Amino acid sequence: MMYEIGIDIGGTFTDAVCRAADGSTRLLKVPSTPRDPSQAVGVALARLLADGGGVARFLHGTTVATNAILEGTAAKVGLITTAGFEDALEIGRMVRAANYDLSFGPQTPVDVVPAERRLGVAGRIGPDGAEVSALDEAAVARAVHDLLAQGVQAIAISFLFAFINPAHEQRAREIVAREAPGLAVSLSSEVDPAIREYERTCATVFDAALKPVMNVYLSRIETILAGQGVSVPLQVMHSRGGLLGAGAARGRPIRLTLSGPSAAAIGAASVFRDAGFEQGVSIDVGGTSADVALIENGTPALRHDGRIGKYPVRVPTADVLAVAAGGGSIAWIDAAGGLRVGPRSAGADPGPACYGRGGVLPTVLDASVVLGLVDPTRFANGELQLRPDLAEAAIRRDIAEPLGMSLVEAATAIHRVINATMAEAVRQMTVARGIDPRDFPLMPAGGGGGLHVAAIAEDLGMTRIVVPAAPGVLAATGLLEAPLEHDASRGFFRSLTQLPEAALREAIAGLTARCAAAMAADGAEADETEVSAAASFMGQGHTLDVVIPTGTDTPGEAIRLGFIEAHRLAYGHTRDAPVRLVELRVVQRKRSTTGAMRWPAHATTPDGTRAATIYGQALDVPILHRARLAPGERRQGPAIIEQADSTTVVPPGWAFTAHPTHLLLEVSP
Amino acid sequence: MKHDPATLEIIRRRLEGIAEEMQGIMLRSAVSPIVREANDASASIFLPDGTVMAQSVSLPLLLGCLLPAVQRLLKQFPVESMAPGDIFAMNDPYDGGTHIPDLSLMMPVFVDGQVVALAGTIFHHQDMGGLTPGSVPTNATEIFHEGLRLPPLRLGRDGVVDEQILRIIGVNIRTADAFEWDLNAQIAACRAAVTRLQELAARHGAAPLTAMMRELVDRAEAATRAAIRAMPDGRWVYEDALDNDGVVLDQPVPLRVTVTVRDDTITLDFTGTSPQVKGPVNAVPAGVMAGAYFAIRAVTGHDIPNNGGCFRPLAVILPEGSLLNPRAPAAVNARTGTVKLLTNAVLGALAQAMPDRIPAANSGVSVVMALSGRDDNGAAFVVTEALQGGSGGSAERPGVNCVSTDIGNTMNQPAEAMEMDAPVRVHRLAVRRGSGGPGLHPGGCGTIREYEVLKGPLTLTFRGERHFHPARGAAGGGDGRMSEAHVLRADGRREEIRSKLSTVLQTGDRLVMATAGAGGWGTPE
Repeated sequence: MMYEIGIDIGGTFTDAVCRAADGSTRLLKVPSTPRDPSQAVGVALARLLADGGGVARFLHGTTVATNAILEGTAAKVGLITTAGFEDALEIGRMVRAANYDLSFGPQTPVDVVPAERRLGVAGRIGPDGAEVSALDEAAVARAVHDLLAQGVQAIAISFLFAFINPAHEQRAREIVAREAPGLAVSLSSEVDPAIREYERTCATVFDAALKPVMNVYLSRIETILAGQGVSVPLQVMHSRGGLLGAGAARGRPIRLTLSGPSAAAIGAASVFRDAGFEQGVSIDVGGTSADVALIENGTPALRHDGRIGKYPVRVPTADVLAVAAGGGSIAWIDAAGGLRVGPRSAGADPGPACYGRGGVLPTVLDASVVLGLVDPTRFANGELQLRPDLAEAAIRRDIAEPLGMSLVEAATAIHRVINATMAEAVRQMTVARGIDPRDFPLMPAGGGGGLHVAAIAEDLGMTRIVVPAAPGVLAATGLLEAPLEHDASRGFFRSLTQLPEAALREAIAGLTARCAAAMAADGAEADETEVSAAASFMGQGHTLDVVIPTGTDTPGEAIRLGFIEAHRLAYGHTRDAPVRLVELRVVQRKRSTTGAMRWPAHATTPDGTRAATIYGQALDVPILHRARLAPGERRQGPAIIEQADSTTVVPPGWAFTAHPTHLLLEVSP
Repeated sequence: MKHDPATLEIIRRRLEGIAEEMQGIMLRSAVSPIVREANDASASIFLPDGTVMAQSVSLPLLLGCLLPAVQRLLKQFPVESMAPGDIFAMNDPYDGGTHIPDLSLMMPVFVDGQVVALAGTIFHHQDMGGLTPGSVPTNATEIFHEGLRLPPLRLGRDGVVDEQILRIIGVNIRTADAFEWDLNAQIAACRAAVTRLQELAARHGAAPLTAMMRELVDRAEAATRAAIRAMPDGRWVYEDALDNDGVVLDQPVPLRVTVTVRDDTITLDFTGTSPQVKGPVNAVPAGVMAGAYFAIRAVTGHDIPNNGGCFRPLAVILPEGSLLNPRAPAAVNARTGTVKLLTNAVLGALAQAMPDRIPAANSGVSVVMALSGRDDNGAAFVVTEALQGGSGGSAERPGVNCVSTDIGNTMNQPAEAMEMDAPVRVHRLAVRRGSGGPGLHPGGCGTIREYEVLKGPLTLTFRGERHFHPARGAAGGGDGRMSEAHVLRADGRREEIRSKLSTVLQTGDRLVMATAGAGGWGTPE
């Protein structure tokens, strides 16, 4: 039997989805191994292939790159920059994250590249792309040796206006190659060819610092694959939600950051499609946060101003709103005697009080246990036995007694607050953007999504909920559904009136050729090419994306008209004024050919009833195992539907119907 | 407890969400460069009596300034006189405003014929007329130099702006198109809030909603009072000074505050502060209150929900005719440096009582630099830049270099953006090493920036601070280095800038500026 395997590394668990050629699909969760994340991949792969079989595709999503930035474990990197701008990376944009905190710490990656590893060299390109003064090549060579003496493993090069004319950066790279053969180098004109020197330098520095780390990591995965007899090339999920070959990934590792939310959003889009929806909202609830994604026209919306921790990292990524609301969110009483839930989380360690690992603060999961929504003996497929006594004690002491409530009232209050926080995030992604969520189905994902989804939907007037077959492994599912994808972009920041159509056609052709070459390197040919522009009115700071019809003779006019209309749609008003082209982008993709997935049908929970409290109402709720629901059979809530990776609460007033790929909940008073 | 705690918290969150939605609407479509790059706009929701209920996450200075504006609008237009769709606006600094470019706009939220809340926005418009493009003339000596004053007005009815008022404004300002565009953004933000608040009232009932909002305010007040009660009682004085008023350059402008903490109240008495001055650094009470609000929020802790209740325990005494409560027609446009000074002074006084909780003085400077001229097509342009110093050292950690502090939180201009927009070359952007005050935890350093004019003439206005008075250290830490700036003419002449300057730069001239370092904390080891 041949398998397609997707393995996604998360903070706590490494998830695998394995689809056989006949469509039957298995899922597997193994504990992540943070010290060497590839170990968990090896364990999962060995278990999936224990009974033999070959691998037709191997797809991988990883948080290794993001974590290396967040935890400061990327390689030692040096920066060569335009003389006079050595400190641009430290100074940043001069803003701070917390308005009223008087004693805040650095807001820029000053520790990633301290002053002694930021070296300036003479040579200037002007805003029109013309050379103002020649590159001081001897200074570049001296800088390389200075940095080598300091022990750097990678060099980032970021010169002013390189996004318009990269000649100096390219020459500098040649000098690095001559002086330090084999050393990892990243150019700002290739990593993030767009205006604003701080943001571009940030992305370039992180790209360089990730190169040695990701090279080692990807090699380890390749070794594991070879050891298991897997001969297909490794493909990795990138931030935009597409796959690329390991070679391309090594060349631009910054693109491997922020890929997790994109993979989950791709998975959500695919489940929505199977359920017959081209649009929807997904909410992925983990231990510390909830990620809300908007799916339109069958694909997740994208953004181009990603952040990792405090730092801007301008890679295209799924437009996901993350709020600090998850199963580990801590309930507390504020100075004004008000009930709050989050943003602090008990995380995985020590975790909620009910984990029994030393956590004593009451969390959302503790409330779920007290309310009877979660079966303490079967949490995470029974891998962790929860302690209801500890959950009760924590809520009683910290919430119920101070507020003069009963235990169950306090747990209900915690749920109401966290549900409102999650609903607020959905609101910001829809209502605040002029989208009426009542037309959209809502999809829960992650271990906790199903516990809160109905309450969130009711708050927003949403009447349909689509529960994926395997909500807990949506990102791994997304790996199988994601296209092979390459993209290229070029910065302009010019009025369209200054850009002849011929020049734009040539630029588009050049970007398209770069994508095609990258596709060819991964042994594929694109079946889809998308050309788009980021544009604004002259004077505006925020851009809107405009799709350019492929093959048009007048891309400039297409951008102008498209932008004026896009502005009307986004803000309700527009005008016929000069338009600035900020960036041109080309994306090529080859769609995934994965067929439908059939999920396992063995039930582990005995059906029966359990005393549970839903919306403050004490009920005797039927407990059903997902695998035992007959396809097409419609039942009425209340019910709690359990499966290996998650629990779905169906309150009274909702009906549910099982389908092969999903479970549909509908309001049915 | 009157209301169920979960519902109260849900309402609080929703109100914050609505304020954020308002902020997003303004920022995304704004054309005013200072709003687009520096986020110089704010949104809030108020109770019908003008008590602020929820604020967007934005500039503390503007958030504070919107409060008195709404109070003033309410005085002119009591809620009983309002109709659905009314648009109220004002900017007059001598009638509740702050400085002329900041236009406050308010719309009532009606439910069943009653006003249940007010939606307000404040927005720094690109130009409101007056002596210079941008309407912040450093050489202004009276309010009439500073642009068009709008007293509290009913700017529109049924959601439509009065054409006649708009025409009056249009002929008095330089960029009427941009004004109208940005005004629409303010109105759109308020209208969104009206819809959302009506939905909220429909869900919870108007009367219960109002009652819950009042309870949230009362709770915040109680919590703030508790936090103040936990501070040591006493009276502390802090004195500092502005370099000069921008017009009379050889005379410092002293500021003095006496902070009294007694039981659960804080009183800020600015008696002893300089009389009002000729230059435009006078701050009207709205700006002063913004600084005072910042200080009280920062010292009473983040766990208290942010609303008008937090400000009730605060009393402020502003001598009439002083720098901080000037009589018309004193010029008031350049008040940012003054508000920073008084905010630092209040914190400096409280630091004597709580040296472990309050850092040493921050650099106390946010240089406002503007270059204006005409492009090859004869069109006027202005590029502005706000350049910061550092944050003060504290008991916890050293100060941060080159970062916006206290009432400000504005982004700088990327060199690439500036060179795209104006015929200048940026030669240097650097941390001014060694400028932070020494200490166990040194103060944050200031910033150096150097520009060359590629094609003159360009008009330069420069508003610096801390050229003659350093940011002071605390708990044994040393003072930061003072600001320095000069113009280097193409022929080699060097002209020192004494804190403020308005001049013409020709091709090849350079401007070199270095902002002050912040104070250090603790005796150096």
